[in-house]
Amino acid sequence: MAAAETTTPGQLSFAIETFERIHPTEFQRRFLSQGTRHDGRGFAQFRPTHIVRSTISTAQGSATVRIGNTTVVCGIKAEVSEPDVSTPKAGYLVTNVELSPMCSARFRPGAPSEQAQVASEHISRLFQSAIDVESLGIEEGRACWVLYADIVCIKHDGNVLDAAIVALQAALRDLQLPKVEFDAVSGVVSADKSKMQPLEVEALYPTTLSVLDGNYLVADADDAEEQMAASSVLVVLTDSAVANIWKRGALVERKLVEKCVAMAEARKQELATLLN
Amino acid sequence: MQRPDRREANQIRSLHCMLGQLSRVDGSAQFSSGKTSVLCGVYGPIDVKVYDEKLDRAHIEVKFRPDIGVPTTKDKWVESAVRSTFEKEVLAQLHPRTLVQINLQVRENDGSVDATAINATTMALVDAGVPMKTTVAAAACVVLKDGSIVADPTKEEAELAVSTHTFAFANGSSDGPLYVDSRGRFSMAEYNRCYDLCRLTCDRILAFMRTALESKIQKESAISAV
Repeated sequence: MAAAETTTPGQLSFAIETFERIHPTEFQRRFLSQGTRHDGRGFAQFRPTHIVRSTISTAQGSATVRIGNTTVVCGIKAEVSEPDVSTPKAGYLVTNVELSPMCSARFRPGAPSEQAQVASEHISRLFQSAIDVESLGIEEGRACWVLYADIVCIKHDGNVLDAAIVALQAALRDLQLPKVEFDAVSGVVSADKSKMQPLEVEALYPTTLSVLDGNYLVADADDAEEQMAASSVLVVLTDSAVANIWKRGALVERKLVEKCVAMAEARKQELATLLN
Repeated sequence: MQRPDRREANQIRSLHCMLGQLSRVDGSAQFSSGKTSVLCGVYGPIDVKVYDEKLDRAHIEVKFRPDIGVPTTKDKWVESAVRSTFEKEVLAQLHPRTLVQINLQVRENDGSVDATAINATTMALVDAGVPMKTTVAAAACVVLKDGSIVADPTKEEAELAVSTHTFAFANGSSDGPLYVDSRGRFSMAEYNRCYDLCRLTCDRILAFMRTALESKIQKESAISAV
């Protein structure tokens, strides 16, 4: 073997793939200490992001988002239902994030994983304030629109939350609701499909940053990097304000969170051009 | 601005903590801030399921039950928040291939439940003797429509808020946050004011935790001396 001949006796030598598998942290560290990442990106560099709208013709609104290898599809189904007693004028948005075994070997079939449930809940809370739920009302106390947003991850290569938020955002902008009439006597809602109208959605721009190996702040971590991340920061911006800062994991410096928001501002420009 | 319960803007509700109330767990604590009250019971280190077993450290599991009804995705979200806060603070590598189980039960919810749950967990972990880097305290505050910031909001105040902010800090010299959840619509100036307020509040809570632990130890040593 050529490789074995060139090494000095007593020194181990193996392929880079083997090194990555048996010492993932050390493997990443070698790149980080050289000021780069294992896929050649700079610390603040995001993977190429693609947004395609109306990818599912059978859904009322849909979008597919790719961030590098991470792929997320979002489909929205609109149904007419009775409004909640506590909010008789409003409709509602139901989000469901699916992380099936299809997207990564880490997920098991069956009940949704904690990660999926937490992502669903987080996205639902974010979008509650981004759409005007009262515009989904049809007749006070009688009928309203319910938007079922199914967010399915097809390929999980890190940063699924960003991809899911962007996908739902694009799908909501793609959504067209028919003009409806409510008949108070029969209680029937009739739709006029010739008059479709879009939904007002406030723009949300998500950015996830991770802290690797103690002090390297990297943008848009992929799956391998996410596995070794000590902490992560999600920053969601709107056009004029901050909508969410969500920092989890190990202790970080105060300034780091502010740095994350500054980096999110740069990413916002990029996402805004992609979404519009 | 007058608060419904006549508190000052930066004033928290009265804190209350009882340790070791539960007899069947390894450690327990009930932590209350005003009416909001969370009971925490900790088992650990105990046997771990093969699926969760980690070769180099203990697995940390959090179960959160609300005051009313069955747990929903909202409660899963809190579980994940508490777990992520303590995962790096508990010295899990001292007990490889074991489980530390944190059980939380909300007794009454009058706002700031996430922060109270984190505080209850710290006290229960200490009571259970689970090794930790340091103690952790959490505090919440909200920004109201008029731009004023109030600490330790009640449920009523949280509903009127433009943005809510929850921070957790570790006891010690470092000034960075362990956990941040800021949501709503806010500016970075508001975020920084909330940060400063919660940092001060957490220092007060940490001092309170210390007093509560000291008085418990004093009581115990008084009993054993008799």
